[in-house]
Amino acid sequence: MKVTINWLKDFVDIDIPARELADKLVGVGFEVEEIIDPRESIKNVVLGKILSIEKHPDADKLVVCQIDVGTEILQIVTGANNIAEGDLVPVAKDGSRLPDGKTIKKGKLRGVESCGMLCSGEELGLTEADYEGAGVYGILIMNREKAALGTDINDVLGNDDVVLDIGVTANRPDCNSVYGIAGEIAAVLKKPLRAPKLDYTADSASKTEDIVSVEVAAPEICRRYMAAAVTDIKIAPSPEYIRKRLKAVGLRPINNMVDITNYVLIEMGQPMHAFDERDICGGKIVARRANNGEKIVTLDGKEYSLTDNMLVIADAEKANAVAGVMGGMNSGIREDTSLVVFESACFARDSVRRTSRSLGLRSDSSARFEKGVDFSCQPLGLKRALALVQEFGCGKIARGVIDVCVPIPEKKPIVTTCEKIDGILGIKIADEEKLSILKSLRISAEVKDGKLICIPPEERDDLESANDIAEEIIRYHGYDKINGTLMDKGRQTVGGKTRVQRNEDKIKEIAVSCGMHETLTYSFISPSFADILRLSADDLLRHTVEIVNPLGEDMSVMRTQLAYSMLGTLASNILKSQKAARAFEVASVYLPKDGKTPIEVQPEEQTHIVLGAYGKDEDFYTMKGIVELILKAFGVDVKYVRSSVPYLHPGRSADIMKGNKSMGYLGEVHPAVARAMNVSERMYIAELNIDLINKYEKTAYKFEPISKFPPVERDIAVVVAEEVSGADILDAVKSAGGAIMREADIFDVYRSESLGKGKKSVAVNMVFRADDKTLTDEEIAEKTDKILAKLKDKLGAELR
Amino acid sequence: MAVKEKIDEIISSAAAGAAACKSVDEINSLKVRYLGKSGELTALLRGMKDYPAEERPAVGKLVNEARDEINALIEQKSAQLKAAHEEEKLQEEQIDVTLKGKATPRGSLHPCTLVKEEILSIFTSLGFSVAHGPEVETDFYNFRQLNIPKDHPARDMQDTFYLGNDILLRTHTSPVQAHVMEENKPPIRVVCPGKVYRPDDDATHSPMFQQIEGLVIDENITLCDLKGILECFAKELFDKNTKVRFRPSYFPFTEPSVEVDLSCSVCHGKGCRICKGTGWIEVLGAGVVNPRVLEMNNIDPEKYSGFAFGMGIERIAMIKYGIPDMRILFENDVRFLRAFK
Repeated sequence: MKVTINWLKDFVDIDIPARELADKLVGVGFEVEEIIDPRESIKNVVLGKILSIEKHPDADKLVVCQIDVGTEILQIVTGANNIAEGDLVPVAKDGSRLPDGKTIKKGKLRGVESCGMLCSGEELGLTEADYEGAGVYGILIMNREKAALGTDINDVLGNDDVVLDIGVTANRPDCNSVYGIAGEIAAVLKKPLRAPKLDYTADSASKTEDIVSVEVAAPEICRRYMAAAVTDIKIAPSPEYIRKRLKAVGLRPINNMVDITNYVLIEMGQPMHAFDERDICGGKIVARRANNGEKIVTLDGKEYSLTDNMLVIADAEKANAVAGVMGGMNSGIREDTSLVVFESACFARDSVRRTSRSLGLRSDSSARFEKGVDFSCQPLGLKRALALVQEFGCGKIARGVIDVCVPIPEKKPIVTTCEKIDGILGIKIADEEKLSILKSLRISAEVKDGKLICIPPEERDDLESANDIAEEIIRYHGYDKINGTLMDKGRQTVGGKTRVQRNEDKIKEIAVSCGMHETLTYSFISPSFADILRLSADDLLRHTVEIVNPLGEDMSVMRTQLAYSMLGTLASNILKSQKAARAFEVASVYLPKDGKTPIEVQPEEQTHIVLGAYGKDEDFYTMKGIVELILKAFGVDVKYVRSSVPYLHPGRSADIMKGNKSMGYLGEVHPAVARAMNVSERMYIAELNIDLINKYEKTAYKFEPISKFPPVERDIAVVVAEEVSGADILDAVKSAGGAIMREADIFDVYRSESLGKGKKSVAVNMVFRADDKTLTDEEIAEKTDKILAKLKDKLGAELR
Repeated sequence: MAVKEKIDEIISSAAAGAAACKSVDEINSLKVRYLGKSGELTALLRGMKDYPAEERPAVGKLVNEARDEINALIEQKSAQLKAAHEEEKLQEEQIDVTLKGKATPRGSLHPCTLVKEEILSIFTSLGFSVAHGPEVETDFYNFRQLNIPKDHPARDMQDTFYLGNDILLRTHTSPVQAHVMEENKPPIRVVCPGKVYRPDDDATHSPMFQQIEGLVIDENITLCDLKGILECFAKELFDKNTKVRFRPSYFPFTEPSVEVDLSCSVCHGKGCRICKGTGWIEVLGAGVVNPRVLEMNNIDPEKYSGFAFGMGIERIAMIKYGIPDMRILFENDVRFLRAFK
């Protein structure tokens, strides 16, 4: 919300600098985003007259000018060629400052002294709309100015106002106006708030009701509709001060009638519309829902198709405006307009918002309505507009005002106690101060029978509870008076993380100890992931949750696995010439529960960890080692079976199985996938479902006494066919080994010509121990024979 | 007595011999020479039969004493030589202790995780538990239960990614508040970390970022308690001299609402690039829980009150580690990540 200091001064005396005022506004909750003071941005630039222009002795494109700036004659070198002797021009003197932050210093240009600079319109921050001729390429020629030479250019341009750009929070729609902000400033500065000039005399021969009638057919979205007519209109430019103020807040002055509607919008916060009476067929204004499919061409020249959720302002035949959003092409003020009907209405906030959103059509009016306009605004706005008509003398005001309004709900008093207010804040504020603050905010307040009874002013729809009153009081009492306390009256609670939360920390710590760096990638990815990962047409991972309004195609679906993001991370590091890297990420994947797009129920969110690595020391087993470390840390026993995950190397990948449930996978990335990511390095990846780790975690430790009897170790080597897996051999060894077999591990795999093609020798280390006796050689030998027999029987293994 | 002289001579020659020894081998052969089976003292003992019987005990005693003496001499020298030998060997085994160790180099947690965990540990030590909620939320929990009705202007404060009609990516961690209130009775002290999403993408905004939300509900909780807890937090997270400043603001689910500034930990209030010269950094949004929100979540606003606060983890990581652009946090360049071991 842009306001100017001079405009504010119409309503409240401001006797402190803009900067100080801004600080005070911040203190009561109004962020001042920018202070635009032309006198701060243009300094030491004056009006000067070109006395002479001579060629520069050493430069073809430069000229040397003698400039009269009132007190002295300055020599200035310039490259401009649109100047003539006798021209009035803006002169930036030595040590001057321009709006872009540039300072001008005396210096030499090709050996000739130059004591400043002649300015273009652009250099002074002016456009053609601000000053005629400012858009010209070259020096700004100001020959029509009458000011004395040497006059500060700010005075020449009439820069006597400062603009504040104020952030208004969504709970204070009443402050989206100069008058509303002035009210807060009055409270801050403890000064009276002056009422706006609303007086006018109905001096027209006509009556509004003879010119137009108003029917509100949809009172649920058109809460109030006021109308007043102005006759004998002379369309002309508005007075200078009006145009200056409108320009200062970013609006383009057009003509007196349009300017009045804009001026009232900014000043009073009431969006207005001015209809040319000739466009109101049958002299009848109807506020009704649009017919489905009804078409309207608006002021911007575009055609929109409406629905019955939208309000239109129609006449006997057609829609003339999308209510509160934009007028129709056929309803604007023209040069020959002589009879105008002003609309000052209250359209429902959510209705305007929905209409504006669904048409994709926004205006200053719709923006204002969306924030919420209260019932006090319409009469205020209408009266102010009519008072301005009279002030400008640009028309005659018809007698009578039409006002069609739903019953206005009465402001309910907020009944609380002073103790309750102190209790919310935690400090004691004297009751007199409370009442005085509330009074300064025009909240009527009294303490009666121990109760604090407050009635907010009509425009304050945000005040409903004791907490709202507490906020008003502390806003003005000062938040710096709040002293920190540590919940002295609260009850102690047991805090901390849950087992599942600690598990995630533990998994991350293991990954970090294994040299992995934690990454952070977006939860949404490109739908091209499915083809890059070579997923088959019926792969469940293809079923994604789609974002209806994504920032771009490459961030448009929620990921169903973390592999794609990790591969992206590895690939980007490879492309940055990093020779090796290990990385991991813990994040959610999103698995749709319905087959609908867009979804109708929330998806399942699983927590996964993805591990990734590349580099000369990495292989399947380095990655598997990390996976094992994690699973063993939680006591989760799994089996690794050959995997068919399509983005992994078919010979070097495994599914991680708990019973017949997959907990994840690991393996080398399929070379075709790597190629699709523009890398040729071998990459290794693993992904585990942490929810399942939490589910299968062995949480209890159990004491086992240490055996007094010594273990006996035996090694065997057997020759088996290549396709027999290590897991097959160990399973057979362990099952034949029985209770005294404590451990069995493969410590060597050996292939040679003498063993024959397709054969390998596998060496197994076995540890035997009994809890109740020392095992004899005979017992061990007997067991070993049994194991060898089983290996031969089941796997065709021969003792080597 | 010739024997005595002879023995003394043997002893002094053995002593001289021992002193001259330069290696364990030499001392061993010296031992054999004097004390071995054909050694000089043994020879004396063998010649015992030549002495008169009454002198033999005295001679024997002398010889034995000499044997002990020589033995001690040799042992002493031997120990000396062994020690020297070992010392020499250790010197030979010398290695370059400045070469690096053999353990796997440690990886790193993401700077955002470091910040998040630091914040969680501060609050858990203050009796807060940690709660999580779904990232894909319903309009009901993300907005309506937080006093943000449909078509309310407060919705403009948070642009939203939609996944379905009433299903969206949560725009803040505040819906976890609603879940916590639904499932627990006061006293409630909880912090809720998590990813949140808004359609913004520039140097200070990312479409996905992380927040931590805090909620306290009990009897007699005040705005002063909010300030006290945040002061405690700020001093732990930054430094002991960090100050907390409240500025009035608006959030639909708190009333009164405040923006919380912390005194700049880089310049200590003098003004620098990080705090844009103001000496203060806007870090949190907070306030007293709006009684309406309590009511909607079936907590009696007459009996209970509370406060809530929320902060962006990326923003704090940027301040704490001097990271100039939020996008760096999502680039996952290992050269950047390695710094956070």
